[in-house]
Amino acid sequence: MSGVEGRSVDTDLDAERLHRVAIAHLTEPGDVRVAALVEHLGAATVHEGLVRQLDLEGLGADASARLASSEPERALEEAHRAGIRFVVPGDHEWPAAVDGLHDAPPVERHGGRPLGLWVRGPLGLDELTATVAVVGARAATTYGTDLTHRMAAGLAEGGHVVVSGAAFGIDQAAHRGALAADGRTVGVLACGADRVYPQAHARLIDHLVDEHCIVSETVPGGAPTRMRFLSRNRIIAALSRGTVVVEAAYRSGALNTANWAGRLDRCLMGVPGPVTSAASAGVHQLIRESGALLVTEASEVLEVLAPAGQHLTRRARGADRPRDRLSHRQRQVLEAVPLRRAADDFSIAGTAGISPLEVRGSLQALEALGLVQRQGFGWRLADEDPGLPGQPFLDSTG
Amino acid sequence: MPVATTRTVSLDGAVGHLVTIQADVSAGQVRTDLIGRVDQGLSEARDRVRMAITNTDLPWPATKRITVLLSPADLRKRGTHHDLGIALAVLAADATIDPLTLDHCLYVGELMLDGSLRSVRGVLPMVLAARDRGITTVMVPEPQLEEAKMVPGTTVYGVRSLAQAVAVVTGGPMPDAPPVADSGTASLLQWRGSSRHEDLDLADVLGMADARFAMEVAAAGGHHLLLSGPKGAGKTTLAERLPSLLPDLSAEESLELTAIHSLAGILDPGAGMLQRPPYSAPHHDASKTSIVGGGSGQVRPGELSRTHSGVLFLDEFPLFRHDVVEAMREPLENGEITVARAEELVTLPARGIVVLAANPCPCGDHTPHAKDDRCRCRPQALREYRAKLTGPVADRIDITRHVEPLSGHERSDRFAPREDSATVRARVTVARARQAERYADVGWRLNGHATGAALRDHWPLTDAATSILDQQVVKGALTSRGAVRVHRMAWTVHDLAPDPTGRPGVDELDVAMRLRTGLPLLATTVERRSA
Repeated sequence: MSGVEGRSVDTDLDAERLHRVAIAHLTEPGDVRVAALVEHLGAATVHEGLVRQLDLEGLGADASARLASSEPERALEEAHRAGIRFVVPGDHEWPAAVDGLHDAPPVERHGGRPLGLWVRGPLGLDELTATVAVVGARAATTYGTDLTHRMAAGLAEGGHVVVSGAAFGIDQAAHRGALAADGRTVGVLACGADRVYPQAHARLIDHLVDEHCIVSETVPGGAPTRMRFLSRNRIIAALSRGTVVVEAAYRSGALNTANWAGRLDRCLMGVPGPVTSAASAGVHQLIRESGALLVTEASEVLEVLAPAGQHLTRRARGADRPRDRLSHRQRQVLEAVPLRRAADDFSIAGTAGISPLEVRGSLQALEALGLVQRQGFGWRLADEDPGLPGQPFLDSTG
Repeated sequence: MPVATTRTVSLDGAVGHLVTIQADVSAGQVRTDLIGRVDQGLSEARDRVRMAITNTDLPWPATKRITVLLSPADLRKRGTHHDLGIALAVLAADATIDPLTLDHCLYVGELMLDGSLRSVRGVLPMVLAARDRGITTVMVPEPQLEEAKMVPGTTVYGVRSLAQAVAVVTGGPMPDAPPVADSGTASLLQWRGSSRHEDLDLADVLGMADARFAMEVAAAGGHHLLLSGPKGAGKTTLAERLPSLLPDLSAEESLELTAIHSLAGILDPGAGMLQRPPYSAPHHDASKTSIVGGGSGQVRPGELSRTHSGVLFLDEFPLFRHDVVEAMREPLENGEITVARAEELVTLPARGIVVLAANPCPCGDHTPHAKDDRCRCRPQALREYRAKLTGPVADRIDITRHVEPLSGHERSDRFAPREDSATVRARVTVARARQAERYADVGWRLNGHATGAALRDHWPLTDAATSILDQQVVKGALTSRGAVRVHRMAWTVHDLAPDPTGRPGVDELDVAMRLRTGLPLLATTVERRSA
């Protein structure tokens, strides 16, 4: 049922795939040494080197413990039976965006282009053209999860695929928001694609497998170790055109994803929270120090990610008030008009320090706007500011 | 024997005083005296009793001097339910019936001129008071037979008329009497949907995971709740579902509440003991008397007492009258109401959960977290409005939650937790059992009833959590009253955990602090339990 059989069958590529499966089983995902060696020597050479227990920058020794159980054909076979395909560079489905990792500087010995991606679900990685990562703290507040839900729904409506990590807190809200808006969404896991982690999200992850897809760099059966979360974050950032961080404390793993977005030269965005909230402190730091763009809603993210000229947002500002349109001198006159007891032109002119002739003209203009009203021979402020501006007022007095 | 004695009970708030009625029929100037501080309604008993006896074809000692004493003589007595006891005492003093047969029985009922017996308010608390003083046989108007029977261990006679009462006392043949209409204030209006509260379920509420959790804590520990949010955010939807999270009343609670309802004259005796926690949502025009209790004549319990062990929902709280708001301070703090009048001090229980709802501003459009804030209130009006929400009453509210209208997509989220009331109620029931066990020796039921001093001495938080809580008070982030409330809620959060051990720690304290200060909860707090 998986897409692999349907796509072009290339014997060389299949041999390459087997070598990569073997290396993936012998090494840890995201190990920067593996990526570099495979880029330089090719997967076949590196595989052979590992089997012959060559040094290979220490990799040979690391891999020796796993050599005995290495059966790449069987592993691939079993993965296929579980509905998991192993997508490698050169495949039609390979997402070009991930190639950016090749040049990105590593973080703590993690980095480089993945050997391949284990994919489970009907959504092809080649269909991921407009993608955005929405990530954040597991220890999020409901302020953050509500905002995330709204934002992910808006991004999905704007035609973007929402990428996240299916974790507690912000991640699950991002997936749920995209699903609620009938959008597409990808979950990138730290464990093998055949496993469900966290268990509490079984329903959500199963749904992603049935109708969207989940992606993992870890071989099927692999456990979600701490290290694998770090390499997982790099895949989330690499699959996405931009990364939005909603709520992250100072030591949140989401900052690691943000770091990768920066290294990949992808657009990094942050949703601020209350300045007193510890759950948002990391985001505020990103905005202050790492040049993350402050965004508050989906439309602002879309504006950044869309091709130039599309999805432009309207410059938001408060509601128009009639006073906004007054000239400086008209405002001076308005200030001088008493609240209750009417005053005549001369008295107002005296208070404002403007000639009576000009004051008279201004008062009539202000009356037309409904800001002042006549009382006897004088003027006073109108009872209530009119809710909406009247006809556009042309300033004649400068 | 010229003197005969019967007994009845005079109610003073929720306290029943045993009253001894003594009648003396002897030679002298022909007149009837009723002495012992009786009020207007009771002094008319003279005429009712005389006509009832005459019209029952029993002899009225018309040629003698009749003196009826209600003792203790210094206790002010009111209520028409003394009639039956007075009539029987006079008959016994006049030797129409044997005075010895009247002993050790409580007589309750109002007589009509034809001798039939009308039902009265407060039968249940009267019978309870009598039982506490060793009187276990009672005679009540027939419609209130069931109400009196709710008190375990009592023998109850229900009679329709004076003639039947005499027959019971003397052991004679029971004469026939027409049934007497129940005087209960039955609702004149019945409309479709008037009982819809029973069908409300939490499963109907979409989203609002934060507020749902807060409701669960409120229900489990008996904590008061303030819901703030613009119109249409779902405040009422949430509040009216709170009773569905509460377990059935315990036998003890049920008796207390049924007694209060009996006192208020709103008990339907046919329905038996109250089983479900009551709910009431009075309009903001309500008077102080109707909310806290009082009234002229006999003190009537207000809504706060009628919803004892249930839920009182005050929507549009800032619109309630100033005196009502001020009068709520004491019940919110102590769980009881003391109505002081010229010569009496009446105390009524009021340990329900109070839910306040408020718009964030007078126009109801103020949405602090939305960019399209359409609020048009003047700053001055906003300040005055907020003052009501931050006053002394607000300090006595445990939980503050801000709710906002759902966006369209939250409605179509299939993965949002949708627990029904029964699931939450099961957890609440377990948490309440843990509290009852902990406080068994001190007589509290819920964390919300515990005093600050006792909590500090006997049920403290972990040392780390205590020092954080103390710092918050020193920093001025919490009032000392607030700290006690946070301490109580930390216990409730602890009691709600699947398998709590030891004392509430830093995590429970964090949740309680957030609930108290209105900060959003952690998503994991809300999320994991639904998994």
